[in-house]
Formats: sequence, structure tokens, C-alpha cells
Amino acid sequence: MTQRLPGVVGLLLMLMAGLVEQAAADEACAIDDAEQEICLTVPAERIVALSPGATELLFAAGAGEQVVAVVDHSDYPPEASELPLVGSHDRLDLERLVALQPDLVIGWVTGNPAGQMERLERLGIPVFRIEPRTFEGIATALERLALLAGREAQGRLAAERFRQGLAELAARYADAPPVPVFYQVWDSPLMTVNDEHLIGKVVTLCGGVNVFGGLARLVPRIDEEALLVADPEVILAGGRGEANRRWLEDWQRFPELTAVARDNLFFIPPSLLQRPTPRLLEGSRRLCDRLEVARGRR
Amino acid sequence: MAGASLRVCAHGHPTLGQLALTLGLLAAAALAALIVAVALGSAAVPLTDSLAVLVGGGDDMSRTLILELRLPRALAAFATGGLLAVAGALMQVLLRNPLADPYVLGLSGGAAVGALLAMLAGLGSALVSGSAFVGALTATLLVFGLAHGTGSWTPSRLLLTGVVVASGWGAVITLILSLSPARQLPGMLYWLMGDLAHARGPGVALGLLVLVCLLVVPLGRSLNVLARGGLQAAALGVPVRRLEWLVYLLASLMTAVAVTTAGSIGFVGLVVPHLLRLVLGNDQRLILPACALAGGTLLVLADTLARTVIAPEQLPVGVITALLGVPVFLFLLHRSR
Repeated sequence: MTQRLPGVVGLLLMLMAGLVEQAAADEACAIDDAEQEICLTVPAERIVALSPGATELLFAAGAGEQVVAVVDHSDYPPEASELPLVGSHDRLDLERLVALQPDLVIGWVTGNPAGQMERLERLGIPVFRIEPRTFEGIATALERLALLAGREAQGRLAAERFRQGLAELAARYADAPPVPVFYQVWDSPLMTVNDEHLIGKVVTLCGGVNVFGGLARLVPRIDEEALLVADPEVILAGGRGEANRRWLEDWQRFPELTAVARDNLFFIPPSLLQRPTPRLLEGSRRLCDRLEVARGRR
Repeated sequence: MAGASLRVCAHGHPTLGQLALTLGLLAAAALAALIVAVALGSAAVPLTDSLAVLVGGGDDMSRTLILELRLPRALAAFATGGLLAVAGALMQVLLRNPLADPYVLGLSGGAAVGALLAMLAGLGSALVSGSAFVGALTATLLVFGLAHGTGSWTPSRLLLTGVVVASGWGAVITLILSLSPARQLPGMLYWLMGDLAHARGPGVALGLLVLVCLLVVPLGRSLNVLARGGLQAAALGVPVRRLEWLVYLLASLMTAVAVTTAGSIGFVGLVVPHLLRLVLGNDQRLILPACALAGGTLLVLADTLARTVIAPEQLPVGVITALLGVPVFLFLLHRSR
């Protein structure tokens, strides 16, 4: 009896250790883009996405069913636009958000008001902030969100597909002759992107050279004169809506521009390029195609 | 307070020679500013090439840069600055209030609401300008109608009506800004701060500036009397009511055209007239044409800086007008004590 006691205690200890280990294994931890670690003991069931990009990433990561609310302009995938709104990304309706009792909020590092985010955290709601600035950042965002939502397999698949698609493009255009490119974010004021911006990275990926890539600001405002001097071979417009020819027609005023002379004025739907989501792959394919067309017109 | 800085200064009335000399110097400064504006830009064009283009030579690139981009923009800046300064001087006389500027009666607010609504609807820049003009005229007629009311009319009634209507426009602008999608905001804010990047075809603004100068200079003597007060003017046989409405409509039309060309550029209309009064005295026959030249010069220089300081990136011109004008104004004010 006295000799068997240590054995029982040992057994109990082993059991307890096992339980603890089990619990630790169930806890899903991920580090967000603001360098904070978020751990959930059970996968998030009620997720609120505070940017249109976060909504897209959640759906792509297979967690669409767990999204209970979104913000204005969350229009992709189409079923996302039917979800309840909690305001716009820069002015949140905290009351409505809290009333939905979310167990995870996906924030946007620079897009959401910092004060409101801290308020949410003080209320005990975990906030996971994302803002991918690289292709790899998009891939890991898919994996991290999937992990927190208990959809690891789907997330990994989506991330792999994205990485593979980009790798194919990179391989295809690695040795393509460089093309000087101007990407027009907006027309009035005239705005473009630098090389640090995801769109700038897509231009580089496709063998393009962003004529304003070296500017210091992520989205610089420039003047037409600078564009005339830079004389890009291709002008790509994003901008308003999904079918906007007007900005491109505007450049016809300057027939001496190489891009105008060769008719290398292209529109790429902004939603495919301006959001850091897996759809960027489709946007990149189109952008690469346009540059290839321009190479053919030399 | 009213009239404190509008008092006819001790300088007395200028002789014809002084008048010609002053305006000649200001015109020379304006010409110099225009040459600087045409010679400078984010692209380096040698001065000789710039001048060659102006007399019909130069290569294609220089011609495009100078004739299609810099010159129209510089002329638009000149016209806008001139219109705003003259409109400001007229408003200060009309309202007998040194704080009056072209926007005090809510005209820029109406124009802004028109422009922002057009931007929100996704219209092109020509329609945005048209909409701004309609907004400005609506604001003018609204204040005119409300202040006219049932008869008894005074400058302070006009001022109060205008200020209250302007607050109303301000609220509508804030509402539009808070309901607009984020991507539209930079364009809207640049419009509100004033921006000459999309000013095309300075013809109308320049024409109006010349026309108004020719029209108001003969009225200078009556305006001088009006600046001292309506009763005094009436006693001296000036048709006060008619003159006041003429001044109001002229100033409104000028402001509407200026705002339609370049958005609501602040500061020029308020400070340029005061600045000139500190130096030249308060004779409207001199001040009004001087305002046209000095206001234009200031805005041309400010716009040149705005587009070259951190080129190829651009700054809003309103920031530069204030940064240039505030120290000059404070210096003159200090010196005049």
C-alpha cells in the first residue's frame, strides 16, 4: 500500500501534465502586423473584420462563415456585402460592434482609429491587426487568420496557391526586358506609388521599372511636368470604379509621351491591385500581360 | 473696430505720377514673377530655352512643358490671386470691416459644396468647376435674398446673414467629407485648400480681372467716401444703396470665378489689401489696381514654390501663400506703429 502510493501520485502527475500539454496544444497563437501575439484557446467563432481587405483575407482563408460583421466597402466576395456593418474603417460604431459579442476582431494597423482599438482591447476583445506590405505578408496573413479561426488546412492551401502563382510570374518575367511604368492611383491630385508599395512591387515583379519608385513617400503626389520628363513607356490607371477610361483619355493631350504614341495606356481594376489580398495575384497577372503587350509594340 | 484700418491714411491722395510709378513697379514685379514661374519646374528647362519658346522657338518637349503646363497655370494663378485680392478689398469697403474677405459671406462654402458633390458623383474636372460656379452663385443669391429681406438693410445685416449662411455651408462640407469614401478625400481636401494643378484656360479669369479693374477705378472716389461710412457718403451725394449692391455683385462674381478656377485659396483676399494699405494708404483708385497686381504676383510665386519645393511631389498652394504672407504682413504692421 505505502509502496504503491508514489505510483498513484506519479500516475496522477503524469495525467495532469498531459492535460496541461493538451491545453497548450489547443491554444492557437499568432503574431500580428503590429508585433503583438494573440492566443486563442478555442478557434474564433464570431469574427469582425474592420477593413475590406481583412474581410477578403478571412473569406480566402476559409473563415468566411465565422465573419459576423464587416465595415463599409467590404464588397468582395459578394456574400460579404450582405453582412451587418459596424461603420466605416475610420469611424467605427463600437456599440454595435461590442453588441455582436465577437471573440476576435481583425483590425487594420494604420486604417482604424488607434483609440477605438485600445478601447476594444480594454473590453477584453482580442484585436488582431493586419496590414500586409509584402507578397509574403499576404500569404502569412492567410495562414495566421486561418490558424486563429481553426481553418489551418484551408489557409495553408490558399497561401500556397498565392505563393506559387507569384513564383510562376517571377520566373516568367525574371529576364524580361525592363519597361518604364507609371501607375496612376488618382487623377486629381495626381498620385502614384513608390517601390515600397505593394503595387510598386507588382510592377517590379513583372519586369517593369516604376518611374517614381525612388520617391520617399508610399503614395506621393506628383505633377504632370514630372511625368512628361520621366516619359514612361506604359501608363497604368487604377482609380475610381471598375471601368474608368477617362483618366487614360486625359493623357492624349500629350502625344509626345511614348506611352501615348504607342497606345500603351491601360486600365487595371483597382480592386485587383489596391487591396492586399489573394486577388492581387489576378491583378499581377493582368499587369504583367499589359507590360508584355507593351514589349510587343516596341 | 470697423473702419479702424480703413481710415484714409495720412499719406493723402497720390498724384498721378506716384500712381503710375507704384503701379509700374508692381507690374514689373508681376512680370518678373511670371517669368520665374515659367522658368522653374520639376523638369529642368534652361532659361534660354524657356524664353525661346515664348517667342516661338524651342523643341517639342520644352514647348509642351511651357506652353501647355507652366504658362496657363501661371496665368491662372495670377488671375486668381488678382481676383481674390480685389474682391477682398471691395468686401472690406462694403462691409466696413477689416476682417472681411471674399469668403466671409459664404460664397466659397457654396462653391465647395457644389464641387464636392460633383466629385462625390464622380464627374470630370470641367463639371466639378461648373458645379462649383453654380454653388457660388447660389450662395450669393441666397445671402442677397435673405439680407435684402423686407427692406431695412445695413452692412452689418448683410455680414451677419453671410456669416450664418457660411456656417451652414461649413456644416454641409463636413457632412460630405465624413460620408465620402476615403479614396476621394485627398482630392476633396486639395480642392478645399486650393490647388492650381487642374486650372486650365485662364482666359475667363484674366478677362474678368481686367474688366473689373477698368470698371472700379472710375468708382474709386465714391468708394473712398463709402469706406468712411454710408451716412457720410449719402450726405455727399453718393448713391449708396446702388453702389453697395454693385460692389457686392462684382466681388461675388470675381470670387466665384476665382474659386471655380482654383478651389478656395485662403489668405490672399484678406491680407493683400491690408498689406497694400499699410504701404500705400487707403485710396481705392490706387489700392484696387494695386491689389490686382500684388495679389496675382503673390499667388504666382506661391504656386511656383508649391510645385517646386519638394518636386516632383506637390504642396497645396494655400499653405505657401500664408507662409509667405504672414511674416511680411506682421513686419509691416509692426513697422507702421
